[in-house]
Amino acid sequence: MAIADVKEYTHLSTEEVEQLGRELDAIRTEIEESRGANDAAYINKMIRIQRGLAFAGRVTLFASNKKPAWAAGAAMLGAAKILENMEIGHNVMHGQWDWMNDPEIHSSNWEWDTAQPAEQWKHSHNYVHHQFTNVLGHDNDIGYGVLRMAREQKWHPVNLGQPVYNALLAGLFQWGVSLHDLDLEAIRKGKKDPKEMKRQLKQIVKKGRNQILKDYVVYPALSGKNWKTTLTANATANVTRNLWSYMIIFCGHFPDGALHFTEEEIEDETRAEWYLRQMLGSANFEGSRLTHVMAGSLGYQIEHHLFPDLPSNRYPEIAVKVRALCEKYDIPYTTGPLYRQYGQTLRTIMKLSLPNGMTSDDSPEPPSPPVERGRKSDAERPTRRQETGAYMRKAAS
Amino acid sequence: MSVTVLPFAWGADGALVKARVTQCALSRICGVCSRPLGRPVAFVGTPQEVGRNAFHAPPLHAGCVADLKALPYADPTWEVVTTAGFEYVRPNREDVDPRPTFEPNSLL
Repeated sequence: MAIADVKEYTHLSTEEVEQLGRELDAIRTEIEESRGANDAAYINKMIRIQRGLAFAGRVTLFASNKKPAWAAGAAMLGAAKILENMEIGHNVMHGQWDWMNDPEIHSSNWEWDTAQPAEQWKHSHNYVHHQFTNVLGHDNDIGYGVLRMAREQKWHPVNLGQPVYNALLAGLFQWGVSLHDLDLEAIRKGKKDPKEMKRQLKQIVKKGRNQILKDYVVYPALSGKNWKTTLTANATANVTRNLWSYMIIFCGHFPDGALHFTEEEIEDETRAEWYLRQMLGSANFEGSRLTHVMAGSLGYQIEHHLFPDLPSNRYPEIAVKVRALCEKYDIPYTTGPLYRQYGQTLRTIMKLSLPNGMTSDDSPEPPSPPVERGRKSDAERPTRRQETGAYMRKAAS
Repeated sequence: MSVTVLPFAWGADGALVKARVTQCALSRICGVCSRPLGRPVAFVGTPQEVGRNAFHAPPLHAGCVADLKALPYADPTWEVVTTAGFEYVRPNREDVDPRPTFEPNSLL
């Protein structure tokens, strides 16, 4: 659906949308003006903890022939990888900490512990996903080019295999993500610039080779006769990180209530409309502070999409204000326990492996009954789509 | 890096291309050579832009500034500021100038 349609569902006049934007601007300004030593201390502490965990894990695995050492080492290493990818790497590469002018903790030179080169991530995620959030045909995070995640996407018999593709994507997530910016669909259609493809492939091969060398050759070799158990522990740490990051990322935009958009009117969006699309296309989850940190603060996905370059440690306080704004303006604030959000995502994956006619739509009811207002008519909006689910049907009735 | 083709974020007429400006902002790439930014980040702007700390041109490598300023459509009044970070500010409905701006947040 177009963002213009969403505004209609949520009964907001143009002035109300702009006022919402001004209130979100005020939240942003408040954080920018109070950003300082406490925030810097937070990210430095995270990095110290992460490096401590990684070091302890690697050292413990020198004795990986003993089962407790294997388990403790794999757990510490897995936690370190999760922390590095989620709360540190992802957020540093958004530029959340650039204001510190730290030579290391900066979006321009952070290279993370996963197979995708940072440069490609900053294009596929920071630009494509964050600019075109949930816009079908633009945002390749909608199913990662592998899964059908919206009813608006055309069904194909190959979608019957979704449960299997999903399991493979989850287990091999870092390798799936490493190919994300290549745009396999464009390559298949012969639309990819061969020079750019070659350049990207070279980067991927180099980064992937280093990841493999580190976890499956160098550290096992350093373990001497325990090389085999160190190798399995390293593989376990990588798979753990893959499964966790897959689950967290999929909970950001696919639980019931996170909307998809099918029109490309976004070029002329105002800042307030952009805010609105980010809020309606994202979903949070609830959890302990530790869960949120290990999730890279993506349990605050709505706040992250509103302010991707504000320090992640400030999202909890921002969330209180954003939620209050959603209540004030009577717009959805999609959240729930992690198990429920992922359960809904998994159910969507399973259901959309079948044609639409064989399954029902799970879109929730809008927060208030849609009310007719003096806005654009369908005739004035000829590209409006009619197949976008319960919200649209109710609005039309 | 020398500019042998058009700078990434500028069109043939010398005007900024909005979609590419956004791409530079979010992908954190240079508006001239389109490669990942370094530190510091450079911005070019008129004295007015420098005065209000809000720039229309996207972030650049310090080394790419000279290439940009050598182009025929470069504004002779352009000044250069360097920063570690910046805010990307999308236009508001009431803004007279509908172009996004960049606000350096840690001037060097």
